[in-house]
Amino acid sequence: MKVIELKKVEKIYNDSEVKVHAVRGIDLEFEEGEFAAIVGPSGSGKTTLLNMLGGLDKPTVGDIYIGGTHINDLSGSKLIDFRLFNIGFVFQSYNLIPVLTAKENVEFIMQMQGISQEERYQRTKALLEEVGLGDRLDSRPKQLSGGQQQRVAVARALASKPKFVLADEPTANLDSKSTENLLEIMEKLNKEENITFIFSTHDQRVVKKARRVITVEDGKVLSDERK
Amino acid sequence: MKLYKIAWRNLWRNRKRTAITSASILFAVFFAVVMRSLELGFYDHMIKNAIESYSGFLQIQHVDYQTDPSLENTIELDEGFIAQLENAEGVKAVVPRVQTFALASSGEQTKGALIVGIDPVKEKKLSNPEIRLVRHQFTKENIERLNENSGIPESVKEKLNGLLYKSYTNTGTIAMDLDLDEEAESFLLSILGQETAFPGEYLQANDDGVLVSERLSKYLKLKVGDTLILYGQGYQGATAADLFPVRGIVSIPNPELDNKLVYASLEKAQYFSNLGNRISNLAINLDDNSDKNLKYMEKKLSDMLNSETVTVENWKVFNKVLWQQIESDNNSGIIFLGLLYFIIFFGIFGTVLMMIHERYREFGVMVSIGMQKTRLSVIMIYEMILMGILGVLSGIILSLPLILTMHYNPVHLTGDMAQMMEDMGFEAVMPLASPGMYMVWQAVIVAIMVALSSIYPIRKIFALKEIDALRA
Ligand SMILES: Nc1ncnc2c1ncn2[C@@H]1O[C@H](COP(=O)(O)OP(=O)(O)O)[C@@H](O)[C@H]1O
Ligand SMILES: [Mg+2]
Repeated sequence: MKVIELKKVEKIYNDSEVKVHAVRGIDLEFEEGEFAAIVGPSGSGKTTLLNMLGGLDKPTVGDIYIGGTHINDLSGSKLIDFRLFNIGFVFQSYNLIPVLTAKENVEFIMQMQGISQEERYQRTKALLEEVGLGDRLDSRPKQLSGGQQQRVAVARALASKPKFVLADEPTANLDSKSTENLLEIMEKLNKEENITFIFSTHDQRVVKKARRVITVEDGKVLSDERK
Repeated sequence: MKLYKIAWRNLWRNRKRTAITSASILFAVFFAVVMRSLELGFYDHMIKNAIESYSGFLQIQHVDYQTDPSLENTIELDEGFIAQLENAEGVKAVVPRVQTFALASSGEQTKGALIVGIDPVKEKKLSNPEIRLVRHQFTKENIERLNENSGIPESVKEKLNGLLYKSYTNTGTIAMDLDLDEEAESFLLSILGQETAFPGEYLQANDDGVLVSERLSKYLKLKVGDTLILYGQGYQGATAADLFPVRGIVSIPNPELDNKLVYASLEKAQYFSNLGNRISNLAINLDDNSDKNLKYMEKKLSDMLNSETVTVENWKVFNKVLWQQIESDNNSGIIFLGLLYFIIFFGIFGTVLMMIHERYREFGVMVSIGMQKTRLSVIMIYEMILMGILGVLSGIILSLPLILTMHYNPVHLTGDMAQMMEDMGFEAVMPLASPGMYMVWQAVIVAIMVALSSIYPIRKIFALKEIDALRA
């Protein structure tokens, strides 16, 4: 089943004096259950592409469909709600609400969705155990290592039962051991629970784990390979 | 996880800043509350002294009395109407008065005097001249006798000469001047009281004698039992002249009045001035002295009167000077507080700016993962409100002990200020107003400041673009 569809998507930043053509005509589709990496050098347009996939930014030209919804048409609070119910996010760093504990960070997103307290509690516990943080439920973000914080972010992204999880360079600030650990968890979730992950990276060790590698350069897709 | 809980935790992320901001609100509120309490207490005190216990809050008088308070502008009121007034709901006291000028003389001395005709019984409810009656006086003879009295300690005797020719209306003030403890040294006080006893009695109803103010009595060399001659002009040009036995001497705090006041009974004053049943004015006190009730009662009494020549005036008209003094003082007080709060506002606003700046990326993450901007704004508003409440509550709570103590035990003033107040006929104390609405107003002002300083962050949140905020 198709979860994402991009048609002739272009992005031109023209808020500064020089226009930046960050994405120059991309057609892409993502299926449910993919474990896809978007690879490319810095400045190649990975973040721009992921932001558009996540409904955080709008294409200048072209159409984006998520689960059949033409998200170009959504804006304001509708778009925010759409993200809440359909997309999981893991950012590069400082993902979590610093005043909330690991448990509360995960629970909070479900609370916004209106899920009952009982279910929230069960799911939070299960998810944090799954990412190996069953013993750190009550830790605040600053009491956790960078790798642990990213794992909480993954748990949070999954808590809302999204159609897919977007992760923009989730390992960029992690040491190699934490990187490996995070990827193992993501892989496991992908395999065992069929969670769709789309992440960007320029780390070759991360790329190796991906089952689909989309290489972008200068705002265009250079290659799109499935293993 | 309730939003206010998140807000509460956010506040303590930067303890120092929150503490400083709350403390600035606390300081402003504390200062404002104490200052207002002082001001309001002072106005109250002045009104109590000048209005409630002298002129009354309302007066019924001739329409021209205000511009020309002469005998020609006196009024004649129906007995039935006065009775109706006395029984009207909300009316506490109704006191008729006659006021006129005359030459007062005794022996060789003559001086202008203000004759105030009072109903000795009714007047007790308003100015109560009885408490002004001189009942004790230190003379060479009684000080000598006291000095020979072995029951009086030397330390007290030393001070007695300083009291020569001073008169007192009660032993309490003697105790104050001698630094005596009224309760512990009651025996001593009773000796002092007996030895210094001064003759004189308050007026009886229809009395044909007078009470003479102390300074005037000294000028005229009058003693109780002597005869005072008053000479002047009565109603409609009639000649007014009569003899009055002096029943007592009254000590009036205001020196100007003390130089010229003569109290006579209403009937005697009316007879002297050829006024018949006419009076100068009818002073009225009410159960409720709020501005609102004053207006209401003014209207109500006006309707009852239903007259074109007789009118109901309120104290703000017939004591314009006091009213304007209170008004202008009150206004400058409010302007001062406005300035204070203006400064505090910028403190709060600065905190808000820093809060937003520091957390802009965090806001970006929250909105990106699906938090509605309204919720985010609510958190922000809660933070501001909590900070405001913290400041307001602690400010008010800190001010309460001070205000309550000084409300029930007002500070006694000394020096020039005290002299000035005593000259105006006021007790020289500085009572603070009891806790009241003015405290609520401080909370309202802080609430408004909080609301105003919330506008910017809320606008900022609603203008937030996710990708920009994420890159911040
Ligand atoms: N908001 C923006 N305004 C202007 N130019 C931008 C903006 N965001 C990204 N760019 C530019 O677009 C290009 C692609 O950037 P980005 O998508 O961040 O690449 P990557 O994530 O692969 O490093 C770069 O040249 C970058 O400078
Ligand atoms: Mg990037």
